[in-house]
Amino acid sequence: MRHSRAFAYSAGLVACFSLLTWLALIDTARALPAYARQTGQACVACHVSFPELTPYGRMFKLSGYTIGKRQELPLAMMAQFGVTSVSNNKDDQGQKIVPKTNQPVLSAASVFAAGKITDNIGGWIQWTYNNLATNSAGGTVGHSGIDNTDLRIVGRSENTDQTDMRWLYGLTIHNNPTVQDVWNSTPAFGFPFTVPPNGIGAAAATMLDGALAQQVAGVGGYVYWNRSVYVELTGYQTADGFFSPLRAGQDIHSPGGVHRLSGVNPYWRVAYNREWGFNSLMVGAYGAQFRLYPDNTTPFTPTDRFTDIAVDAQFQHISDPHTYTFQFTRIHEKQDYHASYPATLTGSPIGAGPTPANAHDTLTTDKFKATYYFRRKYGASLALFRTHGTTDAGLYGPGSVGGSANGSPNTNGYIVELDYLPLQNLRLMLQYYGYGKFNGSRSNYDGSGRRASDNNTVFANVWLVY
Amino acid sequence: MTRINVLHLGICILLPCVIATAASAQSTAASDDAATKLASQVCSSCHGPGGHSVSPTFPKLAAQQQAYLVAQIQAFKSGGRSEQEAHDYMLGMTTLIDDDTAAALARYFARQSPPHGVSSDPALVAAGQKLFTQGIGDRVVACASCHGDHAQGNGIFPRLAGQHAPYIVRQLKVIQGNLRNSPVMHGIIKNLTPEEMNEVAAYLQSL
Repeated sequence: MRHSRAFAYSAGLVACFSLLTWLALIDTARALPAYARQTGQACVACHVSFPELTPYGRMFKLSGYTIGKRQELPLAMMAQFGVTSVSNNKDDQGQKIVPKTNQPVLSAASVFAAGKITDNIGGWIQWTYNNLATNSAGGTVGHSGIDNTDLRIVGRSENTDQTDMRWLYGLTIHNNPTVQDVWNSTPAFGFPFTVPPNGIGAAAATMLDGALAQQVAGVGGYVYWNRSVYVELTGYQTADGFFSPLRAGQDIHSPGGVHRLSGVNPYWRVAYNREWGFNSLMVGAYGAQFRLYPDNTTPFTPTDRFTDIAVDAQFQHISDPHTYTFQFTRIHEKQDYHASYPATLTGSPIGAGPTPANAHDTLTTDKFKATYYFRRKYGASLALFRTHGTTDAGLYGPGSVGGSANGSPNTNGYIVELDYLPLQNLRLMLQYYGYGKFNGSRSNYDGSGRRASDNNTVFANVWLVY
Repeated sequence: MTRINVLHLGICILLPCVIATAASAQSTAASDDAATKLASQVCSSCHGPGGHSVSPTFPKLAAQQQAYLVAQIQAFKSGGRSEQEAHDYMLGMTTLIDDDTAAALARYFARQSPPHGVSSDPALVAAGQKLFTQGIGDRVVACASCHGDHAQGNGIFPRLAGQHAPYIVRQLKVIQGNLRNSPVMHGIIKNLTPEEMNEVAAYLQSL
């Protein structure tokens, strides 16, 4: 046994040494993913630090990823190795909550097919292998499925003196609301850019805040006028039939496994953008209305309605050596349990659907993040987050770790992140999540004696893209 | 030789020349169209509309000297410019540009209206003007002797008038560090102090 351990240790050392040697030997110009190979530019041209976009990165995305030369093999890869540690990782029964903590694990690896197809068509498809997917027994298994995807057809027209684009317009097909957005104040590419695998999540989140990711197909159109005014309209529907590849790998057969939308659901976005000196500023608003079947496996019942309205802003100062950026968003959601509430009242909830105690609830999420980078290599971020809304014991009931003793969805806290990018495509990061309140309370929030601070989490992660 | 034969001979000589000239004009026009599209759809993302960039990270190219622009595109492609920004932003983009398009891009930016000056600290500007027009004793040659009395540039010597001050300072440091293949300029400014760089940059930005 000791011999095999020594062998495993040696093999690990050799593997680590090989990886470091390989990284050291990579020429910087080539050590870049698909878009960098397409444009010949470095990551920093488009990213403050991946995935936060610079002004040029936003234009690249809005241009349908078509700038540069089409690649014969437009592939890229990504992998994350990390260690997670939770302040108190045992529930009230002494059972472990988050699996595989306090040990280095490969959490996920992705393959991207990304880039220009023609001068007017481009996109990216991400396929991710999750090494730590949880099963019903609470263990982890490997699982793969589609991740964020965005395909575009674009057009452009110049102004009369042929010095700039007057109109940049396009169609987008994607599978996660706001993944198509180019400002990092919106949820899909908002901070934190990566999270601890299987981290303890609060009970409540708005629909626009990730609840529909990789479950829906969004087909939308956008215009960007004079690099200053952006307007987008997108319709979301459950990714069925022709669109089913956009949710490949999702469990659509288990009640409560995913959300199922009824028909086409509208999303809108307006933003004003201005750039001056080293600075850029965006102020905007976005929103959507979703009609959801309470139980995803019975798509013939009445639906609940969720109306989200959000405001957001972003400021970036990008120079050498100092770069600092700020993002803010507030998402306000009105929840109309048009179907679930009467069904709950009659004592016959709709399948695995929600059992609200109120006919109408509200939920508001605020997110603020500030980042500083020195030479785009050494970075620190501070984020503050808060979700608060109507108390509803039917939605947020007591339950060990994930429940709420007082029926409140209120959660707040902060995230501190330190980053070091020794190479442009390698990010070493350390995150700390601190909670002031979790599911309604600071102490005994779940009714089983758990404190909000028990969920505080440290996450050390190596994030490599190639 | 009869008159008709002379006429035939003349036509035989002239016709290919006319065709070649027309083909060349057509080729130039095609390159100009491609360059206009490239400049307005791609270059403008960093260098601004018509080369009037707003971010000092990226130089203003409007009204820049045509010969200088062509030389710089070639320098980016060949590695003659090896500062970090050249690698990060321009190396890859310029390798996608052929010589005809490079020349057309240079024509495009050269014909744009010049950038307007941005005022700065008057004391800095005055000191910079003195340095630019008179040099510093026998240590630094007057910049105007190559870049023109109004810093408008001349052929291979770039226009500096109206350029972002931080960009000028950055490039002076890059040239001092021998990261641009510019031995003459390196020799002239090798002893320029950071304060003197700020002065001359403030003056040039104000023009």
